[in-house]
Amino acid sequence: MREATIAGAGMTRFGVHESTLPELFADAALPAMDDAGVEAADIDALYLGNTMGGQIEGESHLAPTLASHVGLAGVPCQRFEDACATSSNAFKHAVRAVEAGHHDAVLVGGVERCSAATGRETDEMTRIFASAAHGTYERPTGLTFPGVFALLTKRHMHEYGTTEEQLAEVAVKNHYHGSLNPRAHFGKETTVEEVLEGPIVADPFHLHDCCPFSDGAAAVVVASAEVAAELDCDLVPVAGVGHATDVVPIADKAHPSVTRSARDAASQAYETARIGPDDVDVVELHDCFTGAEVLATEALGLVEDGQGGPAAAAGRTSLGGEIPVNPSGGLKAKGHPLGATGVAQLVELTEQLRGDAGDRQVEDADVGLAHNLGGDAATTVVTVLEAAR
Amino acid sequence: MTSDLGQYLSDGELGVDGWTAALEDDRLLGQACPDCEHVTAAPKAACARCGSRDLDPVELPEEGTVYSATRVEVAPEGFAAPYTVALVTVGDARVTARIDADVEIGDDVRFQGATESPEGLTPLFG
Repeated sequence: MREATIAGAGMTRFGVHESTLPELFADAALPAMDDAGVEAADIDALYLGNTMGGQIEGESHLAPTLASHVGLAGVPCQRFEDACATSSNAFKHAVRAVEAGHHDAVLVGGVERCSAATGRETDEMTRIFASAAHGTYERPTGLTFPGVFALLTKRHMHEYGTTEEQLAEVAVKNHYHGSLNPRAHFGKETTVEEVLEGPIVADPFHLHDCCPFSDGAAAVVVASAEVAAELDCDLVPVAGVGHATDVVPIADKAHPSVTRSARDAASQAYETARIGPDDVDVVELHDCFTGAEVLATEALGLVEDGQGGPAAAAGRTSLGGEIPVNPSGGLKAKGHPLGATGVAQLVELTEQLRGDAGDRQVEDADVGLAHNLGGDAATTVVTVLEAAR
Repeated sequence: MTSDLGQYLSDGELGVDGWTAALEDDRLLGQACPDCEHVTAAPKAACARCGSRDLDPVELPEEGTVYSATRVEVAPEGFAAPYTVALVTVGDARVTARIDADVEIGDDVRFQGATESPEGLTPLFG
């Protein structure tokens, strides 16, 4: 089997964008191609992540439209849709296609517009986001996505004593990291008091426990090691990708707060990369809500079960701590344009492993891990990247 | 308890239509898997744990315990916040439901029947 690498990476600032989906996508895709040192003729396929474009913007055949916009008309295109894990699923399939020898170089990108610039109000966007919950057994209850993670987090608090202050510490940390990232939606620091004084969205989550509705795009070029070696690029090998799902709806999961799919996907990725959690130097994980980060740090084996909250409060997961989590600011501060989020995590790790992350650079980062979750924690994709030797 | 469920079944199976019709009659139905003993309040074509298609329709107990709960204050379009959504343990199953009371994890609650929402019927506990 051939080795897949990330040959180039690009992304837009996350936040509010007035541009159309094709324009936004191009602002990530063309820089990724330039970074890899490839031209349109070198790209064999487009694997695209976009999850809500049909509902939010009425766009239901996006991949060929975007391919044409960036000069790739004619290549095979595929749009992936897996709620918030959409573009890391596109990435997984690109890696598999390169490993199997079907393609030599694939453009993998994600793009989404979720901000008020789309013309959608908060309650309308909340309804659209809730479409990732079960239509018969969950949506009629009025369950929202903050509500889904609130249910998981409240159970975790009950079982382990995780506190609202510890949750707020996750937001404080990620806002601090975001203040070091020029592409972050939120560039300002916050405090525990500020988080706890904010309005409740779904208890225990206050407004600043929740990620924002963001617009943005991210892209990488996945190439075989052989092809990448011929390019003028700073390649980052893909050491392992794991992908697992759990039962839907959440009521049927054996132990909802354990986030089984994350544990299974992580096991696969660690096994393929032949590493364990202790070998990871930098992590980008799916902190759509502060409680989601606590659950994920435990599911990935970075801290012991029950220690996710205390670890964040003690600075163990901060830049400069023993295992820096979300140096980009994460979804919480960097922003969450659903279909772009998974690949954006890989863009951040690519820069970290190249030593190009500026003020938020994790020292001696050789192994990076991305965790991207979709739906009611039913889908998780975990990717391990390793610095080129 | 399950002897009169025939009216809610289609070809002996419990589907969404039957589950909803039962809810309209203030009855909460589910499925039990005789192979792995998983019980669900969200009927499917096959068992979500073991894949068995040999599922028994069952009526779930009306007494339950709150497994987790959240008060939603920012609601989807069409819903009026605040309201409480919970995972409630009923016998060997768990159900996602609305709660018409302030509850904590571990509280005993009782099935109150169905409540309407813009997205359809949902079980109500209190």
